[in-house]
Amino acid sequence: MPNAAAASARAVQGDDLAGYGFLLPWLLGFLLLTLGPVAASFYLSLTDYSGLSAPNWVGIENYTRIATDDPRFITAMTVTFTFVLLSVPLKLIFALGVAVALNKGLTGLSFFRAVFYLPSLIGGSVAIAVLWRQVFAGDGLLNQALHTLFGYEGPSWIANPSTSLYTLVLLAVWQFGSSMIIFLAGLRQIPQDIYEAASIDGAQPVRQFFKITLPLLTPVIFFNAVIQTIDAFKAFTSAFVISDGTGGPIDSTLFYTLYLYQEAFTNFRFGYASALAWILVLIIAAFTALSFLSARYWVHYDD
Amino acid sequence: MTEVVRAPAIAFPAAPSRADIGSPWRRAFAYALLLAVTFVLLYPLLWMVASSLRPDSEIFHSTSLIPQAPTFDAYSRGWNGLSVGFSQLFLNSLLISVLVVIGNVMSCAMAAYAFTRLRFRGRGFWFAMMLGTLMLPQHAVLIPQYIMFLKLGWVNTILPLTIPKFLAVDAFFVFLMVQFFRGIPRELDEAAVMDGCGPLRIFLKVILPLSTPVLATAAVFSFIWTWDDFFAPLIYLNDIEKYTAQLGLRTFVDSAGQSDWGALFAMSTLTVLPIFILFLMFQRLLIEGIATTGMKR
Repeated sequence: MPNAAAASARAVQGDDLAGYGFLLPWLLGFLLLTLGPVAASFYLSLTDYSGLSAPNWVGIENYTRIATDDPRFITAMTVTFTFVLLSVPLKLIFALGVAVALNKGLTGLSFFRAVFYLPSLIGGSVAIAVLWRQVFAGDGLLNQALHTLFGYEGPSWIANPSTSLYTLVLLAVWQFGSSMIIFLAGLRQIPQDIYEAASIDGAQPVRQFFKITLPLLTPVIFFNAVIQTIDAFKAFTSAFVISDGTGGPIDSTLFYTLYLYQEAFTNFRFGYASALAWILVLIIAAFTALSFLSARYWVHYDD
Repeated sequence: MTEVVRAPAIAFPAAPSRADIGSPWRRAFAYALLLAVTFVLLYPLLWMVASSLRPDSEIFHSTSLIPQAPTFDAYSRGWNGLSVGFSQLFLNSLLISVLVVIGNVMSCAMAAYAFTRLRFRGRGFWFAMMLGTLMLPQHAVLIPQYIMFLKLGWVNTILPLTIPKFLAVDAFFVFLMVQFFRGIPRELDEAAVMDGCGPLRIFLKVILPLSTPVLATAAVFSFIWTWDDFFAPLIYLNDIEKYTAQLGLRTFVDSAGQSDWGALFAMSTLTVLPIFILFLMFQRLLIEGIATTGMKR
């Protein structure tokens, strides 16, 4: 045993060196690519930096201009919140419905699970955005189908500012698969004997769903809602590709991230864009904090 | 590969054992519903593939999923539809994705090993910092990072897309590996210490070989996310010969635009194909990764 003790003493002594040795890549990344940039972007948000001349300190001017004198900011907020508030609930309801249907012990579960997951895996790619552009174009697949089935001549859903955002909502809902998988995993944690007891007491399936399934699933619903909402606030690629990077038609798909991109990388207003970025970060943080605060009133944790 | 995919430690609870799911009518109804959902979900995808095999004149007149006279014309038109061949763009994407996989797996495993197995001053503090970055949106660091890479002369190279991944910037994967490493019995490390192994050999000979499921999960997701990524290549790559397949496809939308949907669909199909193949190969791994960790995609 003395050997072992000596060996482990040696190991402990060397652990500062070994510890920082192994941590070095992460530590460099944290300091140079996260901590430094976070501080720098806050500083830049208080300047008029454009990349050409040295940044000039302007105090909170960027923030006051965003709040009081920037109609496109208001548009971007409206578009983004509409998108988040429509796409997240619809996606979660759909995901939960399909998960409950799949959880009935049907054969072919793994087939359906895989097929339903596929759209969430590829839905964020440019290819799918290209497909969406065609499907909802004036002479696209949807209108062809409407014509064949009902003789209805549909408009161009993408070019029409009153419908363009909803095509993106639909694209988000189409990617319900990963939420569904998490719901499925949650459903399987619910002990079957609860349902058996409820059946003996004469509770109908609908009542069982609302009185047993839904309350016991609230932690998973909460988790999915937080993850999907954060993700929806950050949505970018589909809106960019479908609107050619403009957020059009007439800013109807101007996602917040798209506006941020335009300000930073087309107009090179780095200072102003940094302020926009901080506002997005704060919105996401506030939303997350509110979710966690609200959780104690509706999320049921069994302990 | 099945060994890796089937490996335990990521538990997926078994299906409910009860055979009763109500009356045959309800069972039939559930199947009808699921098949309808399957059809609606997959229809646009299958139609895209079918249309890529059609002559252009047919695309706008056919909602069917079976092309009448399949032709690969659109593929050859698309492949050479840009001033740079798509072969170059696919190679660019492949190179970036493979480098990101290597960087992520190596650096995140090293950090996770330090956090779970090595005792050193400041460990708790740095671990808390790592957890703090988990939820931090990319937007908080985007602009200063861009300015930094611009000043380093790295813009319009693949360096901004790959080097950060060698510095474990994807905290999510560090966290995933920390969770996994914690499940590996410490007795194994202690036995290796008695055999005279130092931290490096324990990492290479004990921890890594036992962690193939989590390493594979991180590798596959890294590849897919990088292959699919549009934003970072969009801001960092300027010359068309350096573009990724995703950027090339988006440029192709502008040039082929409304005129050559066949070629556009052909290239769209090809850019999704690698993801689809990985999906077929690692389906279980991907789905279990989502189910147990709640990854968003």
